[in-house]
Amino acid sequence: VDDLIVVALQLGIPLVLLVLAYFTGGSVERRHYASIRERELRWRGVPAISFRNIPPGWKVDDSALVMDNVVISVDYFKRFLASLRMIFGGRVKSYETLLDRCRREALIRLKVLAVERGFHAVINVRLETSRLANGRGKNGIAGIEVLAFGTAVQLRNRPV
Amino acid sequence: VKFDPSLPKEGINVSPAHPLREALLLVAGVIGVTAVVVLAIGVVLDFAVPRIPAGLEARLFSAWFGGYRVDDADAPPREAALAEILAKLGRHTNHPPCRFRVLMVDDPLPNAIAFPGGTIAVTAGLLERVESENELAFVLGHELGHFHNRDHLRGLGTGLALSMVWIAVGLGGGGSVAEIASIAGALTQRVFGREQEMRADRFGLELLASEYGHTAGAADFFEHLSESDRGLGRKFAGYFSTHPLHADRVDALGQAARVAGWPLHGERKPLAVVLRDGAAEE
Repeated sequence: VDDLIVVALQLGIPLVLLVLAYFTGGSVERRHYASIRERELRWRGVPAISFRNIPPGWKVDDSALVMDNVVISVDYFKRFLASLRMIFGGRVKSYETLLDRCRREALIRLKVLAVERGFHAVINVRLETSRLANGRGKNGIAGIEVLAFGTAVQLRNRPV
Repeated sequence: VKFDPSLPKEGINVSPAHPLREALLLVAGVIGVTAVVVLAIGVVLDFAVPRIPAGLEARLFSAWFGGYRVDDADAPPREAALAEILAKLGRHTNHPPCRFRVLMVDDPLPNAIAFPGGTIAVTAGLLERVESENELAFVLGHELGHFHNRDHLRGLGTGLALSMVWIAVGLGGGGSVAEIASIAGALTQRVFGREQEMRADRFGLELLASEYGHTAGAADFFEHLSESDRGLGRKFAGYFSTHPLHADRVDALGQAARVAGWPLHGERKPLAVVLRDGAAEE
């Protein structure tokens, strides 16, 4: 019984944070994925491609640089899982969804931006990922940022 | 160029694993690894500690903790009185009588600690609660038992090794993981710590019986402690102290005395005036 009390005292606060982060982080992620899927479907008609040059057959009237960035925070539970992984090795599964969400969100926003400005497609799309440090030593990660940029093009003959 | 607007399949970048399952597996791994490391350290220390000569230990550590020997002329009265009891008990062991030193610590919590180098620290709180010389002799005998079994060195070695493990885990994994490892290590240690306490108790009991002809003081000591340990604050202090209180310790003592044929009751020798008055001053 003594040991249990000691463990409860020492583990109490981190455990509460973990449980909290598991539920809040999980709920945020589920809702974000639902939104991503819905918008991916809605904007799938807008090509966002990595070609450096204008694809043959496209007649471009106008073009502009478009870019957006997405920042998603690491939650306590994900960081906990990742820090355990740093000991044993293997796929850091808790961060995989984070990057996946960031990239997909960034790509959707790029399309939305282009369309809102009257363009039809984005070529030469690039994604850059960086982590934001939170200033608490080298292990502290505040979140990750994905920057998406490309050349939005207005077409005389729409490809789709 | 033909544009195909269909979406790729879900789950390419994300591993299909439940996060809770992963968390459980990894935590179990950390606990398991820590327990194995602590046990391995224990095996190494069990091998190494008995091979460290007492003389070397004294040279290495005596300057760290200080204290007064029985033949030190400049010892304060309380230390001198304690050292005298210690010397009496020491006659029943095979250790040289001058090996051990006593040091008073002004701490209200009742405790006695065996430090490497042969120094026994006694807190003022302990003197306050103790009512007879027999009782005090049992506590001192218990600490002599730690020296006899070299538990103090074992504790030092485990402590050093564990803190290195925790630093390594902390560097690799971060705060909460180091927390888990430290708790797992402390619990593993406690299981063995309890065994050490029991053995030291048995040693103290034997010295008590040899010196006074009965084991009366031993049970008193635990009774006085549990009387003063009611109340939540004291309780927590007890949990974190080096000598956890347990009813089974008293039971084990009674049984050991019965098995060895030592009388459980007898006349208790009153505490020396210095020790009593010293306690009253607090």
